[in-house]
Amino acid sequence: MATYHLKRLKNGINVYLHPTKKFKTILVQLIFHRRLDADKVTQSALLPSVLQRGSVNYPTRQKLAKRLEELYGTELMVDVIKKGERQLIVYTLDLVHDQFLPGENSLLRQSLEILNEIITKPLVENNAFKADYVRQEKEQHEKVIRGLINDKIAYSIERCLQEMCANEPFSVFKYGTSEQLAKIDENSLYQFYYQFLQESPTDLHLIGDLAVEETLALVEEIFAYPRAQEEEIPPTLVEKEPEKVRYVQDELDVNQGKLVLGFRTGISYKDKDYLALVMYNGILGGFPHSKLFQNVREKASLAYYAYSRIEKHKGLMVISSGIEVTNYIRTLDIIEKQIEAMAKGDFSEEIFQNTYSGLRNQYLLEEDSPAAFTNRALDDILAGRTWTTQELLQELARVKPEDVVRIAQNVQLDTVYFLTKKGGA
Amino acid sequence: MTHVIEQSLLQEKLYRRRIEPGLEVFVLPKKGYRKKYATFSANFGSIDSHFVVEGEGKEIVVPDGVAHFLEHKLFEDETGNVFDKFAVLGASSNAFTNFTNTTYLFSATENFPECLEVLLDFVQTPYFTEESVEKEKGIIEQEIRMYEDNPQWRLFFNLLEALYQEHPVKIDIAGTVESINKIDKDILYKCYRTFYHPSNMVVFVVGDVEPESVLNQVENNLNKYNHQPLGEINRLYPTEPPEIVRDYVEQTLVVSEPLLNLGFKETDVGYDGLPLFKREIATSLMLEAVFGSSSQLYNELYEEGLIDDEFDAGYVAEVGYGHTVIGGETAHPEKLYELLVAGIKRAQEQGIDAQTFEHHKRKMMGEFLKSFNSLEFIANNFPAYHFKNINFFEYLEVMQDIKLEEINVRLQEHLDFKRMACSVIKPLK
Repeated sequence: MATYHLKRLKNGINVYLHPTKKFKTILVQLIFHRRLDADKVTQSALLPSVLQRGSVNYPTRQKLAKRLEELYGTELMVDVIKKGERQLIVYTLDLVHDQFLPGENSLLRQSLEILNEIITKPLVENNAFKADYVRQEKEQHEKVIRGLINDKIAYSIERCLQEMCANEPFSVFKYGTSEQLAKIDENSLYQFYYQFLQESPTDLHLIGDLAVEETLALVEEIFAYPRAQEEEIPPTLVEKEPEKVRYVQDELDVNQGKLVLGFRTGISYKDKDYLALVMYNGILGGFPHSKLFQNVREKASLAYYAYSRIEKHKGLMVISSGIEVTNYIRTLDIIEKQIEAMAKGDFSEEIFQNTYSGLRNQYLLEEDSPAAFTNRALDDILAGRTWTTQELLQELARVKPEDVVRIAQNVQLDTVYFLTKKGGA
Repeated sequence: MTHVIEQSLLQEKLYRRRIEPGLEVFVLPKKGYRKKYATFSANFGSIDSHFVVEGEGKEIVVPDGVAHFLEHKLFEDETGNVFDKFAVLGASSNAFTNFTNTTYLFSATENFPECLEVLLDFVQTPYFTEESVEKEKGIIEQEIRMYEDNPQWRLFFNLLEALYQEHPVKIDIAGTVESINKIDKDILYKCYRTFYHPSNMVVFVVGDVEPESVLNQVENNLNKYNHQPLGEINRLYPTEPPEIVRDYVEQTLVVSEPLLNLGFKETDVGYDGLPLFKREIATSLMLEAVFGSSSQLYNELYEEGLIDDEFDAGYVAEVGYGHTVIGGETAHPEKLYELLVAGIKRAQEQGIDAQTFEHHKRKMMGEFLKSFNSLEFIANNFPAYHFKNINFFEYLEVMQDIKLEEINVRLQEHLDFKRMACSVIKPLK
């Protein structure tokens, strides 16, 4: 949000420091950027779990967990996320600020040292990771890959996007595939690890009540591991014309059908029209006052949830709703009518204003959450943007109803996906 | 008259005022936050389906799912949808119902006094029609269906059905498709008039606000409604025997891996306040020590490939019931069951040592402090504890006072195999 202090460490890690006094905590995120490459995503998604299994000073999970407990439950977490055609491996440290802990004055230093230890001093045997750890973490990772189906809402959205972007890098699942996983062993992963650490563009975000110079010196001292030439990550493909609408159905033994519509907008976070797209999405399905909630749920009583959301770096929009399988045609018809109405400019001044106010509220709220704060900073970095919340809100205020109509006329339905009951409706 | 409650460890000040006829209002100023968050909670949850009001004589039994249904319907008023009123003000509003209470809320960065007025007004102004009640049934039916496909939810409710013979905690919060179809506007009005009386409610406001002006605004608003005193609400719960219903329950669903929950039923129930709070925290500390990510048992199970890092153990302590739930996804439920039982026996033989205990205290202290970043966490939890006569802000002090012996006693008494049930979800072949 352009309120950070930026420093490039000697080894090329970019540090973003966001000083603020309002939190009781310090949040640290170390982010490795990867291209969404079908051959490599599985390795980079598996790697952090193996690293957390054991390092030189914390050779077991238990020793690491005990050490973190001593530090007042400092949390060390890893997430794998996808933004556009990019895979991000995000290490997060969440710790209490010393000022709330009588007698403590170096919790941040101790926590950062642990993070650095985990990523740079793995337990190595015969020039490879410990075989047991790799085998066990492969089993765990296999469960993560197959576990997508357990959440039917997330599963149906992922399936829709997979079908829709079948021939684009975006269709790659962020956790990789079982086939790739089977090929990994303790040697190959160890070789990959060096490449990962040295070549992945890397950011470090810190947010909390932090003294700027002192903190920058601290991270320079701790994160001093050697790195090499960074890998170029190609830009995400945003513009693609769908030929004709594809209809895809999967059958599972479920009680509720999940209807998902995937759209191409041709607009991503870095584009001038992005906030007009945000307004479009907001009016259509971002809020309880929006067209989808009002028409699918409130008027027709067809669903408990019906919303739309944007994948901001890939320029996609997804509509998702859980319905009785027999109501597929009826629901699809109502949703399509809302899309048509948007393109005709058939939305009231009131819904436009309410959407503007609601979005304004959402953007302001992001400043109250350390995680939302760093997430927006990350989006800005990916898009090469530096705007403050104030600047963003000014841009949002400039969006006019005719801009929304222009967006609506260019949004194209690509894929209609339906997860239905076995045997069909 | 405003009371100020200072909490030195948290470095927070809480303002409190009681407004006639009995509404409790709390304000927690948080400097520097953009967000202002307010909740209006009624001490009325899914378990409150049988009651009698003092002076009214007649016992009333309502269909399951009424509290949740009422929550949905309160968002409508004569002019339409309350969501729109918040939308005009740029605020977002929501509500949730759980076993014991119903909470309405909004978060706003601007127009706070106007938003607070909308919240106070809509919760105090029921408007139910036959037509709108009928229309809601389709929506709630889809909400119920959504949960039917949620493996964690099914796992949990199957467990509660195995643990409890009579207590309504075993019934889904939203009720069933059958029970909600019995709900009509008269039932909603009856419940509303009983449980949405100010003396059964709490307002909690948190954010960068001026406490006196917020308290005055709530007082002025409430005075408009001229609420009359209400007789005491007597909630009638069936007598729950200490015995469980069955020790094993299984269901098949579309899942990639089996899921397992072990549950232990609390038998030391029937009281609130500080003793309940102590029991809750002591039991949570005990569970952390035995099942937490630094425990011997957790690490053995992890290395055996029987659990993943979502494996969890948690304790619930309400006035009339309580239970521990332990578990997660597992490739081999039978093996996990066996090793959990053996692990609990071993822990009971060895007891929890002083160093482990101190570590877990530190960890829980850190976690509590961290959760205070979240205004939602504070405002959603405080009223729920208040209804149990617990001051949630005393958490750190109460925890500091807990002795090692107390958690070792909980380990022996609460993890009683006679009160244990197991719920398993298996993948559909």
